[in-house]
Amino acid sequence: MKRALMVWLLLLCAGAAQAHKASDAYLILEADATGLSERVDIALRDLDRELQLDADDNGQLSWGELRARAGEIDQLARQGLGMTLTDADGGRCTPQALAPLQIDTRSDGRYAVLQRRWQCRAPAQDLTLNYRLFAASDPTHRGVLSLRGPAGAAQTLVLAPDGHATPLRLGAAHSLLSVLRDGVHHIWIGLDHILFLLALLLPAVLVREGNHWRPAAHLKPVLLDVLGVVSAFTLAHSITLALAAFEILSPPSRWVESLIAASVLLAALNNLWPLLLHGRWRLTFAFGLVHGFGFASALRELGLRREALAGPLLMFNLGVELGQLAVVAGFMGLVWGLRRRPGYPRWVLGGGSLLIALLALVWLLERSLDLDLLSPR
Amino acid sequence: MRRLPSLLVLLLLSLRGLASPYTPQSDEEVLEQLPRRLAAVPRQGLALPQALGLAQAALQRARQEGDPRELGRAQALLAPWWHLPAPPPAVRLLRASMLQTQHRFDAALQDLDALLAGAATPLALRAQAELTRAALLQLRGRWPEARSACTRLAGLSYAALGAAVQVHGRVCLAELDSLQGRNESAAAALAQLARYPQAPAAWILLLRAELAERRGLAEAEALYRQALQAEPSIYTRAALADWLLARRRWAEAAALVLAHQSDQAEQAELVRLPDALLLRLAIAWRAGGDARASEAAAQLQERFEATALRGDGSAHARERARYALDVRPDAGEALQQAIANWALQREPADAWLLWRAAQLPAAPKPLAAQARQALEQFRRESGMQDARWSAAS
Repeated sequence: MKRALMVWLLLLCAGAAQAHKASDAYLILEADATGLSERVDIALRDLDRELQLDADDNGQLSWGELRARAGEIDQLARQGLGMTLTDADGGRCTPQALAPLQIDTRSDGRYAVLQRRWQCRAPAQDLTLNYRLFAASDPTHRGVLSLRGPAGAAQTLVLAPDGHATPLRLGAAHSLLSVLRDGVHHIWIGLDHILFLLALLLPAVLVREGNHWRPAAHLKPVLLDVLGVVSAFTLAHSITLALAAFEILSPPSRWVESLIAASVLLAALNNLWPLLLHGRWRLTFAFGLVHGFGFASALRELGLRREALAGPLLMFNLGVELGQLAVVAGFMGLVWGLRRRPGYPRWVLGGGSLLIALLALVWLLERSLDLDLLSPR
Repeated sequence: MRRLPSLLVLLLLSLRGLASPYTPQSDEEVLEQLPRRLAAVPRQGLALPQALGLAQAALQRARQEGDPRELGRAQALLAPWWHLPAPPPAVRLLRASMLQTQHRFDAALQDLDALLAGAATPLALRAQAELTRAALLQLRGRWPEARSACTRLAGLSYAALGAAVQVHGRVCLAELDSLQGRNESAAAALAQLARYPQAPAAWILLLRAELAERRGLAEAEALYRQALQAEPSIYTRAALADWLLARRRWAEAAALVLAHQSDQAEQAELVRLPDALLLRLAIAWRAGGDARASEAAAQLQERFEATALRGDGSAHARERARYALDVRPDAGEALQQAIANWALQREPADAWLLWRAAQLPAAPKPLAAQARQALEQFRRESGMQDARWSAAS
């Protein structure tokens, strides 16, 4: 007893020199429209304690020793996470095969990185974790969860390995106002949609006479022309946006994106070498159909539920129109003021259209041939 | 355009300190230096005596090497009893010590109070609980209560256990005397106690060194070195490093810290270095103009963030304050952390830290005044004496 007491007393003298971090694992889950990507980082020291990975027992864990046991490591992680995932339609999502094992370095050493996808038929919605990793060997272990829903909102949670079920909801309902904002945002960051509109509006304040341009004298015919063009664009893209959102028509996005680029190119070229002067709304309507499919892909990224799509679809479209109206109003004010300047036809209309055409040509090549000429675009 | 959202995600992730994973080039590449292998925690619980022995050994390793995973192991070994409201006294004592190491001082005190109040606690365990409690109360600045605990230990209550307990009680009293400025008598008492065969030599050397430092005596250095030789603990090494840092001996301080684990390659050492030592290394390298200074600072910052992420942030206030004071530097953060730490720990090192943070010209004025007032009040009530700042304020 005396001996034990001495040991104890010595222990006290060491002082409370708190040091390193306790054991943590990191879970990074990101949901999207068709499922969820899962990444789990587990400290190699914890894995070795649990699975005796250091096969030659030399106190050093090598890549070969680790790689050989990837299957067991994955099994340990899956049991430890106890994860189930269902989609918006209530269907069970299925985990795909483990991606090749990787390594990452964190502040307290190296971690094994396990990555896989969960495939769902509808957007992932209900996630349950039954976290009990290392519950038997280290109750102070924690799982640090970083969860990103399909709308991009992230949350962080610390999980104790107590085996309690942690239910989490992924597809947080979008408020209609936020979808409206998304629509405005989408048109404002969508340079290709904006340039298409600008290419159509640049010549609107001019009148073509023979081989050259002359400033328009009256505002009314100009506004009527603009109204026609903008309405045609709006009507056309609303039709295809709805068709795509309800999955009645969904053309491959590479085709859609390429055609959008082509539409910008043609609109700009028509300013440089005018072929179609009257009734430009027809051209606008045709290409507006293509742009609508482009908007649909942005709406899909929000991961909305199909049965509750009508309201958000309307709000998203309204947002697109509002954003578009703001662009049109600002731009028309500007070019109406500039139209009498002698350099307008040559430098603003000609130069601007040339620049737009060049950019559109690059996009067209990139998107149709899947190249990266101007990255990141 | 479709790539924009994914770019944003990447940016956000990189801001959150997530490096990208990689695939090693060859099977021979060594990824991790492992601590010595221990027998796995058995799935079926052990009998209490074996579990206690193993858990105690794990706690000792946790304190000597600064590895909290050992605390997790100890808790796993004690799992069948850990969550009981009133576990067997031996378990409860160990639980209190572990809570103390995790800086959960209030919970630790609760267990210790219960042990001392319980009639069923065996005398030897009672003595250990008393001493642990005295150390905790002293750490928290509750000196009158600590003094009565030490007085009981030095008296006849535990005489049946032999002279060791009495010696510890007297050392504990001498330490309190030294904190309250009874320097000469405390130094003499400690020197005399060191001659007892039952005396905790390393502890006494450390206390004498700390007292000499507070008195501004040069003999502190030799005492620190002797204490480190007697018991190479992280605490003592950090204390000696601080002594060297205060004297602008940057290279010596860095060498002392790096000598902590001399058997490994230097690269591995930075990662394996306990926070308290890495902190001293970062200060020494920064002040000495070493090229690796920013690497050490970044490593520390990452550790603080990782700890905060798991929800243990407040346990590191002392290190965070020192980091903001001497490494980053950030006057506002230094003062805020020093104040948070002062609410938790009130040792001379904590007072010194708070005083320094409150002296910074860039510190927020009202907060600095508040900190100085808290220090002054504590000094009045406790009688704390420290030549490093008592004379200057």
